[in-house]
Amino acid sequence: MARFLAARLLHTVLILFGVSVVAFGLIHMIPGNPLDILLPPEAPKSLVDHLRAEFGFDRPLYVQYLAWLGRVFRGNLGTSIFTGREVTRELLRALGNTLVIAVPAAVLAFGLGTTLGTVAAFNYGKPLDKLISVLVILGLSVPHYWLGIVLVIVFAVEWNVLPAAGMGGSGGLPTSWHDLSFLVLPVATLSMIPIGVIGRMVRSTVLEILGNDFPTALRAKGLRSRHVVFHVLKNAAPPTVAVMGLQLGYLLGGSILVETVFNWPGSGQLMDLAIFRRDVPVLQGTVLVLAAFFVLINLVVDIVQALIDPRMRR
Amino acid sequence: MADIAAVQRIAAPEVAEGIAPRGYWRTVAGRVRRDRLTVTAGAILLAIVLLAIFAPWAATHDPLQGDILHRLEPVGTPGHLLGTDETGRDIWSRLVYGGRLSLFCGLSPVLLATIIGGVLGLLAGMGGRLLNSLIMRICDVFYAFPSVLLAIAICGVIGAGIANTILSLTVVFIPPLVRVTESLTRQVRSRDFVEAARASAAPLHAIIRHQILPNVLGGMLVYATSLVGISIILSAGLSFLGLGVTPPAAEWGLMLNALRQAIFVEPTVAALPGVAIVITSLCFNLLSDGLRSAMDVKLPS
Amino acid sequence: MTRTTLPRIIAAALLLSFAASVPAFAQTLRIAMTAADIPTTSGIPNNGGEGYRFLGFPAFDGLVNWDFTHPNEIAGLTPGLATAWKIDPSDHTRWIFTLRQGVKFTDGTPVTADAIIWNLQRLYDEKSPQFDPAGSAIVRSFVNMLDHWQKVDDRTVAIYTKYPFSFFPYMVPNILIVSPTEWQKSGRSWTEFARHPAGTGPFQISKVVLGQFAELTRNANYWDKTRIPKLAKMIVIPMPEATTRLAALRSGEVDWIEVPPPDAIPSLKAAGFQISLWPYPHVWPYMFKMTDGSPFKDERVRQALNYAIDRDAIVKFLNGTAKPAYGLYPPGNPYFGTPELRYGYDPAKAKALLKEAGYGPDHPVEAKIMISTAGSGQMLPEPMNEIIQQEVKPIGFDLHFDVVEWGTMLVAKRNGPDSPAGHGDDALNNSLGFADPASMFRYFSKASWSPNGINWGHFYDPKVDALLTQAQDSFDPTQQTKLLAEAHGRIVDDAPWLFVVHDLNPRALSPKVKGFVPAQSWYQDFTHVTVE
Repeated sequence: MARFLAARLLHTVLILFGVSVVAFGLIHMIPGNPLDILLPPEAPKSLVDHLRAEFGFDRPLYVQYLAWLGRVFRGNLGTSIFTGREVTRELLRALGNTLVIAVPAAVLAFGLGTTLGTVAAFNYGKPLDKLISVLVILGLSVPHYWLGIVLVIVFAVEWNVLPAAGMGGSGGLPTSWHDLSFLVLPVATLSMIPIGVIGRMVRSTVLEILGNDFPTALRAKGLRSRHVVFHVLKNAAPPTVAVMGLQLGYLLGGSILVETVFNWPGSGQLMDLAIFRRDVPVLQGTVLVLAAFFVLINLVVDIVQALIDPRMRR
Repeated sequence: MADIAAVQRIAAPEVAEGIAPRGYWRTVAGRVRRDRLTVTAGAILLAIVLLAIFAPWAATHDPLQGDILHRLEPVGTPGHLLGTDETGRDIWSRLVYGGRLSLFCGLSPVLLATIIGGVLGLLAGMGGRLLNSLIMRICDVFYAFPSVLLAIAICGVIGAGIANTILSLTVVFIPPLVRVTESLTRQVRSRDFVEAARASAAPLHAIIRHQILPNVLGGMLVYATSLVGISIILSAGLSFLGLGVTPPAAEWGLMLNALRQAIFVEPTVAALPGVAIVITSLCFNLLSDGLRSAMDVKLPS
Repeated sequence: MTRTTLPRIIAAALLLSFAASVPAFAQTLRIAMTAADIPTTSGIPNNGGEGYRFLGFPAFDGLVNWDFTHPNEIAGLTPGLATAWKIDPSDHTRWIFTLRQGVKFTDGTPVTADAIIWNLQRLYDEKSPQFDPAGSAIVRSFVNMLDHWQKVDDRTVAIYTKYPFSFFPYMVPNILIVSPTEWQKSGRSWTEFARHPAGTGPFQISKVVLGQFAELTRNANYWDKTRIPKLAKMIVIPMPEATTRLAALRSGEVDWIEVPPPDAIPSLKAAGFQISLWPYPHVWPYMFKMTDGSPFKDERVRQALNYAIDRDAIVKFLNGTAKPAYGLYPPGNPYFGTPELRYGYDPAKAKALLKEAGYGPDHPVEAKIMISTAGSGQMLPEPMNEIIQQEVKPIGFDLHFDVVEWGTMLVAKRNGPDSPAGHGDDALNNSLGFADPASMFRYFSKASWSPNGINWGHFYDPKVDALLTQAQDSFDPTQQTKLLAEAHGRIVDDAPWLFVVHDLNPRALSPKVKGFVPAQSWYQDFTHVTVE
């Protein structure tokens, strides 16, 4: 186990290094000068050039990369060109807001997806299985940004029972029913795809276990006994946990479209803004932190899997 | 990106043990034919593809030329069966023509990624340790980015446009395809019949062509079809953010985005491009599912 | 969509606890802006016109303020923290400002001549400890003729310009004045200061929740007793998506939205919402490239395109939220002048001009236009351009679009027309304002050729140049107006732009909102607004 841990950690460090190179390199492929967007159109070029030197954008790329990496190690992602605020602080706030919808969406997706998948598998080939399968695939096939708009029209405008956009009052963790009501539509929209992914995955895993471990004769005697269900769920757990971890990564990065529709001030919106403003420090920081977060989730998932199932420690 | 890999765990079947390819495919075809859902999905897809190909005949109007005096007409308007859009263009004609670009933007990244990722995956699977590590570690790095994040970041950086959409989605899909192909190749490589071929000193390209490829291709294709739905939704999503296909082209994602402004005025018309995306993506997903179960010998049939 | 009662009741019952707690504060006005983020609250807001509209002028004053009390003309100037200003008769670069006495910042400290000087240093003195690069960039890019300053006495400050510039007072409102003491208390950091800024405006920025909203509270001690806000609070919320804003208004989460989608206006009116439409100094043009290789180098082609578009059809498409443009200034404005050409929809004239220039239906003008997907003042760029494209095609123009996002367009505009940033495009579709009389100089003089200014396409007419320079050297208002009107007349005839429409700045207000009188300005007065 110790060797496995060491190898995984080393691997993770290497990946993180690669991620930082990609995040930095990608953003520096942006044509034009990142400062152009900060200044009103009337700004003369001389002033633009002056500021460019001040932000260090005139230095060679590798010098900029090393300087940035050095700061990142000290937990400093720089300051936004556009707002002058610290990127680290801005990002933590936005990431926190994203987790406010991502975590409930993950929990919902895990619960609903596992239930639907298991029910479908135990009813393999029956109408219920077909129905669940189609529903689950439908969830995967609906563009969630479009679904979000439709939900807003129905629940916020036509029936006026749920708010259409934003986080409500306080910001941060919801503290009242009023704050919670703002969560309903974004969480429902965001969980749609993970429900589909997990539902499909659980169904096929359970089917596989049923196929492998319970020969036809045995199954004929009673598939639904508590013993069988327990055995199946225990064996289905590790891959489900793994997929769940991966879906959390999707929820973090993929929430950008949902956040746009619901005006949710999370990390996706921060990144969208940074792209359109050419705010290089914010964009770099967001891409790096989201990817790093994802890498670390994967590390945790691997370790959890290895703890559950020793065969994984290769 | 590894979020896509989650699909992979479901979609990529393991290579069937020592089955002669020809008989196997016949079994698969037979199973598919008995699966009514898959057949229906395939038929609808075929219809969509045919409509797109024969768009000049299927369309009733010029998809790019509208009549400003007849904008946002409701569904069922005489002459405009599915209504008109925000500049008075016929929705049915735009949907039909839009199918061309939407299918193209959905299929081509997957196709390109299958070719590029397939070659890289074969190389990694058949090559030595060093080559394998090099390819797979680079893939790992790209894998570390959530797919939507990567697609949006690439498009945001290089700008909007059809070519850029396809490029960014191809980059997104290559690493998972490399992984699938590499793992399938390594499974096949360790099989007895490959070992036998190697022992008889058959040249490498012959082994790849006759032993590896036929056994790897099926799994790759099933996985690839499972990506088409995602690809269509993602490319439309890029257009939704203003990072994808640019106007006045007819494309479903772009139409959805443009008609979004009218969703309170003509909700049904505004919803139509979304419906087209849902149906197409749903059919691809159903088809991929059907293929997967037909090819998975372990499932009770 | 039909309103069925049953599902409504079921849903309402299920979610009663949520719905019951949606707050509706009395005398609080909640506004959804189009900005994607809260503009900076440190006194010099970013996010362009909208930033100054909501978090600039409501919370801070300049020495000179915009005058919102004459809604029938383009907003002029009114005394702010200076009661009077005049040019030094013996030195035409020296402006003398007499300060208002007894005004206090919201932190209780007095506004003194020293505080004014301190604020000028914040923006123009890179060596001062309070230098603010972001704020400086915003102000200086506009007020770049300011040179230095001098405290004459406790009630008088002099500001020098680099050259005689008679329109200088119009630049001064951009320099908003904040409390030096509050900055000291904020640990001498502008980011900290922005959390609880102190100015002298009718409102005070009382709470800033990043990414979510900013709250402004009534300043009961405002020095102009006629402009003490009737509202207790004003909350501004960034909502970049038009459909999101619309949904928020219709579901009652906000009372006021900026720029509703034009298509939604009839249904909003039917549902009892108020639609505010009023002219303001805005124009939506194509800026033509006039360097070699561009078809628009030929004046006849430029004029032909101006005759080839049906402005009324575009206005109709916009549901009347704009009016046709025949120049930078609208007809009726004192600066409009008497151009020889009036660009009505005249396909015959357009074809004749094209024929003269050597083009025709078999040999159309091929041009690539850079358009944006969105952006401040850009209205609905994609469908509007698609309509233009469809209209001019039969006349002999084959327009192609280079669709870019807003940031890319700003980069293109700042660089020369033949730089790589311009993508080789022949025209640029970028909306602009004309709030101050120096606008024409910025857009049409040779001194403003990109990259030094925003005469992007390198238009040059020596006569126009001479008139514009004379106007800003002149300190006689009648003379200024005469010179500017003459320059504008020539500009219209020269057709350096395709003049399309002037936006009418649509806003949708809940029926509860009363007392809003729009000014002809990019900025507005919120002090007389009430919410029932």
